[in-house]
Amino acid sequence: MTRLIFAAGIGSVVALATAGALALPPVLPNDTRNETRMEIAADGTVNVINSAGVVNVHPGTGRQVVVVYTTHSPNLEVDTSTSPDRQRVEIRTHVLHEQKLSPEESRVEYDIAMPAGASVNVSTATAPITVDGVSGDVELSSNTGEIVVRNVAKAHVHIRGIASAISLSNITRGHVEITSTGGAVQMGGVTGPLVSVGTTSGNITYKGDCSGGGEYRLTTHSGAIDVTLPPTASVDLTARSVSGSVVNDFPLQEKSHVSFVPKAGSSFAGTSNSGSSSVELQSFNGRIRVKKQ
Amino acid sequence: MNCKEFQEVLPYIIESGGNAEEEEHLRTCPACAELVQDLRYIATQAKLLLPMHDPSPRVWTGIEQSLHQESLLREGRTSLWGHVTSIPAPAKSWTPVGWVMAALVLTAFSLVLINYHPQLPTTAPSAQNMSAQPVPLEGDDQQLMGRVSQQAPDVRRAYEDNLREVNAYITDARQAVERDPEDAVAREQLQDAYQQKQMLYEMATVRTLP
Repeated sequence: MTRLIFAAGIGSVVALATAGALALPPVLPNDTRNETRMEIAADGTVNVINSAGVVNVHPGTGRQVVVVYTTHSPNLEVDTSTSPDRQRVEIRTHVLHEQKLSPEESRVEYDIAMPAGASVNVSTATAPITVDGVSGDVELSSNTGEIVVRNVAKAHVHIRGIASAISLSNITRGHVEITSTGGAVQMGGVTGPLVSVGTTSGNITYKGDCSGGGEYRLTTHSGAIDVTLPPTASVDLTARSVSGSVVNDFPLQEKSHVSFVPKAGSSFAGTSNSGSSSVELQSFNGRIRVKKQ
Repeated sequence: MNCKEFQEVLPYIIESGGNAEEEEHLRTCPACAELVQDLRYIATQAKLLLPMHDPSPRVWTGIEQSLHQESLLREGRTSLWGHVTSIPAPAKSWTPVGWVMAALVLTAFSLVLINYHPQLPTTAPSAQNMSAQPVPLEGDDQQLMGRVSQQAPDVRRAYEDNLREVNAYITDARQAVERDPEDAVAREQLQDAYQQKQMLYEMATVRTLP
């Protein structure tokens, strides 16, 4: 019996160790982890340029930008600098001597802690970007890396993507502008004076109450637009498509004056509650659907 | 009659041609008309296929003679092929190859029926979906792709695909504006399309590519 318990214990330890080893990223011989701290002005901006890997941005403490990064090749380095007035911090991945690196070697993982009030600009080629809980303005662009922004209030959030999936949640009183060519845009609880999203073929999904008396404009060429509103939403809504279908399952009061003649199946207009926010949905041939939460 | 109702009576239509209502649907629905045409073609080909794999009696006689010459077929024993040669051609049974071909044709026919989903036209044709072949990139677009290919081959495909999408967007919106210059939606769409293209160019040339 004792032997059985002993064997079971050894087996469990081996299984846990194996699972742990599989869960952790592999540590390569050229992996180098660094940490850099840089002073920044209260309203300063952090600029990050990284091709591949990961960029995570979150709030920190104090007045320093704390950058922790891991490189995977000696032929690649990270340049960091601060302008004399501390208004600008630059963090840039740089390939040495124009070396040709493998996809794994060209990766750099960044973890950036931001002081309160500082803004962040991040540009990547394939690296996903996550920004969570910062209090300054946010400007992000990526060719194909996924972009996630969460828990941001009273800030400008500007995002550009080519084929990047873009996800925004809990953005309040924001000035949000998103341009995405092929990537889908998902928004949950995104409100503010301006929420503008434009895609070519990417789908647009919005769930929230469009509060704040703002201007909400979602437009696409061939992507689908899906808007889900709670009954409490106070909106003045128009939906129009040049040649796509338009479906409304949300109770709206007919407007007495509209700037166009609504056409069943391809456009509609109406208000809900006091109609405080303007919501405009447009597509060329993508489907538009508005429904009740 | 809609496409679903039409599909339910499809076997009878293939066989007999259908009634007036079915004929009317066939005339007005290009998707169903195309399907019926395909199925009739398969049925015709199936009829032609089976006899083609049933060789003439001369072949069997020739094989039997060769086997006799090679002493592989003893006198007094009649081969299976020998039996076949003694049966008149019209009453002859199918060969195993024929059965296999018949099974293949029936399987293909069944797959066509199972996988058939009528593509009903839901939107007006656009520059994006009018042509099956990708539109070649020209002029500045080609130069841009050359730059992207050199600097960031990993994202080349994404740029190329999206550049085509944006060009289709511009073409569609421009045509809509030309059709109705007073159409405010079309005008805004054209503006948005150009903004999308501007963004593609900026992202390829300004900052993101290392």
